[in-house]
Amino acid sequence: MTSTLNGITLKGSAELVANFFSFGINSILYQRGIYPPETFSRITHYDMNLQLTTDPKLKNYLTKVVSQLKEWLFECTVQKFVLVITCLETNEVLERWQFDIDCDKSAKESSAPREKSIKIIQDEIRSVMRQITATVTFLPLLETPCAFDLLVYTDKDLLVPDKWEASGPQIIDQSEEVRLRSFATSIHKVNSMVAYKRTDSV
Amino acid sequence: MMDLEDDTSVLTTLKSFNSFISHTEAPQRLSEGSAGSGNLHSQYKRSMELLEAGERVHSNNRYLQLDGEKKQMELSHKRARYELEKVASDSARDLEHEVDRNQDLLGRLKKFQERETEAAKNLSEQVEANRALRKNMEGLNRKLEERDTRLNTANQTISYLKDEIRELTQRIQNQDSTTSSQTLENQELQEQLDLQRRKYQEVSQLCQSLQAAQSSCSEHIVKIKELERRLALQEQDIAIVKTVKSAVAKVPDLEKDLKRLREDNAFLRESRENCSLLKEEVEGLRRKLERMEKKKEELVNIELEKERLAEKLKAWENLGQSTGLNIRKPEDLSREVIHIQQREIALKEQNYTLSSRVRSAERSQNEHRAELCLQRSKTLEEQKKRETQDSLVRRLQKRVLLLTKERDGMRAILESYDSELAPTEYTPQLNRRLREAEDILQKTQSHNVEMEAQLTKAQEETGTLKLQLQTVELELESLKKHQASAADSNTSGTKEELSILRQKIEDLESERQRLEEQNNILEMRLERHMLQGDYDPIKTRVLHFKMNPTTIAKQQRQQDIDALREEVTRLSELVRSQKEGGAMVQGDSSINASLSPSLPPSKEVVDLRKQMEILELRNQRLKEVFQSKIQEFRTVCYVLTGYQIDITTENQYRLTSVYVEHMDDSLLFKKGSNGSMQLMETVFSKTLGEMMALHLHHQKSIPAFLSAVTLDLFSRQTII
Repeated sequence: MTSTLNGITLKGSAELVANFFSFGINSILYQRGIYPPETFSRITHYDMNLQLTTDPKLKNYLTKVVSQLKEWLFECTVQKFVLVITCLETNEVLERWQFDIDCDKSAKESSAPREKSIKIIQDEIRSVMRQITATVTFLPLLETPCAFDLLVYTDKDLLVPDKWEASGPQIIDQSEEVRLRSFATSIHKVNSMVAYKRTDSV
Repeated sequence: MMDLEDDTSVLTTLKSFNSFISHTEAPQRLSEGSAGSGNLHSQYKRSMELLEAGERVHSNNRYLQLDGEKKQMELSHKRARYELEKVASDSARDLEHEVDRNQDLLGRLKKFQERETEAAKNLSEQVEANRALRKNMEGLNRKLEERDTRLNTANQTISYLKDEIRELTQRIQNQDSTTSSQTLENQELQEQLDLQRRKYQEVSQLCQSLQAAQSSCSEHIVKIKELERRLALQEQDIAIVKTVKSAVAKVPDLEKDLKRLREDNAFLRESRENCSLLKEEVEGLRRKLERMEKKKEELVNIELEKERLAEKLKAWENLGQSTGLNIRKPEDLSREVIHIQQREIALKEQNYTLSSRVRSAERSQNEHRAELCLQRSKTLEEQKKRETQDSLVRRLQKRVLLLTKERDGMRAILESYDSELAPTEYTPQLNRRLREAEDILQKTQSHNVEMEAQLTKAQEETGTLKLQLQTVELELESLKKHQASAADSNTSGTKEELSILRQKIEDLESERQRLEEQNNILEMRLERHMLQGDYDPIKTRVLHFKMNPTTIAKQQRQQDIDALREEVTRLSELVRSQKEGGAMVQGDSSINASLSPSLPPSKEVVDLRKQMEILELRNQRLKEVFQSKIQEFRTVCYVLTGYQIDITTENQYRLTSVYVEHMDDSLLFKKGSNGSMQLMETVFSKTLGEMMALHLHHQKSIPAFLSAVTLDLFSRQTII
């Protein structure tokens, strides 16, 4: 974690955002029941109780994706980060959690750290996580077995790293969108939203 | 103890009172010496002090009383508590006694209850024993009754059997008598039989002779038929011969016709060749005709064109006369044209030079105008500066006046201070005041200076603003002049241009609004799409990890589905093979053995299969045995009785005799609903009318009829 100084560097900001995504994805997987709840263990972070998976394969996958995402955040080449939930029987996309990332490109490695209190950032992150938990009230139940996928929207001229490949945007047919809270370090700004398939059309 | 305390408190109060009195006397003495007029005052003071002391004593007493009461109350409280504790302990002891007694009583109650339950159990057992004994008694009674009934029935049967025996002996006697009578009849019948046999032999001999005659007859008949056939054949031959003769007679005519036809044929072939040649000639002539017609049309068109060209030529020739330019040939025309073109080029050059000159003149004019503006602005600036300088001068003069006034005032103050200094010694204060006044003065001066600076700044700003305003006004004027000059040059054109421009402006405004609305709508749509996850493929690219959980889950699912499908096919094959294996037991143990490794063979299934095989074998063997027995029986019947009995349909039996002449001759019997056999009519049965009448209608015996038929057929056979 960044030090207790008030200044946020580009590297520190990238790490904050990447950590938020890691915990956020775990929370979403637990809330939506993609993996059974007994595979999750409770930990404390951001001054609140969060669920973290203990499945080794899933952990491995998440660490790989989040580390690559941290690099891209440091280079300011990532635009969106999406978690897609598909139904295994019908191969339809049922839910889409989209995080838009605005990067202030004027902040380079060598520029001075910017003033923003870590506590304020953590408060904002906490409110976003609480909102994610609260979305359970209006999102439709996932009754069929589902699997998830993580998509990253990057700049076009970026070099595609090993083990990554291009994919479609996997947009939901006839979706309802709900905007959630956003949080910002002084260098990165993350807007969250969730889109789900309308149940009366099913 | 309290009294002592009271005493001591009273004593202490008295002591204090005394001390206070003595204390007040001392200052009184001091004060007496000083002023005689203060005596009343001191007395009043003394009385007040005494009152206060009294009050204090009173309050102390009250306090002591209250203290005493409190202590009494505490004592009484303690006594009451003590008594209550005693009572409580007594009551606790009583409670314990009671509790012990209660437990004793409960123990005794339990024991009594147990004794009661035991007694009840004993009672129930006794009752049950009673019941059992009663049942035994009843059973025994019943058995006795049964034995009695059995004895009775046995006696009845014995009597019944005895009666039967008597009846049977009677029957035997009757039957003996009947047998004897029947033997006598038998002997009579045998004698009759011998007579009949002799007759039969004679008849058979006659029959044989008849048969011989019949055979010879049949041979003759056959010969006659053959002869008839030959006759028919010969008649046919005669007819053929006749036709052949007639045909032969026609031959020479046919030969003549043939020659004629050949000649015709040759002639027709020649004519055909001529025909083809003529057709070719006709086609060639037709084509020529078409070409000639086309040429005629072309000729007509060409003549029309020729007339037109001749007219044009005349017109061109007349041109020279109409223009008056000495034109006789087209070369002259071209020359004239070249001249005109050259003149045009020269004029254009002149035009361009003139326009360039005009533009340069205009440019110089504009430059001069700009210089003029600058000069004017400069003059204005100078004016402004002068004005500011004047204002500065005025301000400075005012300041000087103010300063002189202040100095005079200060001098006056100083003089006044100097005049005042001598009588008193307030110099430090005055000096301080002076310093303060100087400070105030300096502050006011600095404030003044600041104010003046702000004022100058404001004035400068207003001056610059005015300058700007004036320059703008000058530009406006110049533009207006320019516009006016432009308007002077093209008065008629500007109005039109203005209207056109205004219209253009309006159109552009409306289009701009429309485009703005469209823009808003598109932006909203874009926002919506961005929310849904759309992206600009030119700038962005979507990436994901190759080994992501969705693909892994899909692969897993596919593998599961394939495995399930394989299992399903395997199980269905097994089921099918089981069914087939169950149907064919005898020779298919090999197949079962080949399939059994796939299924773990349960013992039950194996046992059942073995049982099934055994039963089927048994069935098979029984069938064979039955078949063989039936066959044997039928052959024996046929041999012994002389009839082969076949079942044609339900309840219909066909009998064929051994000695029958034709295989189709058979007798048909039908079993009626009441069990009696009836003879059905057949071809063969029609020939046996006499025997039917005798044996069936008269004697009503089918075996006799059948045996008669057999004998009849046998006799016929043996004769032959």
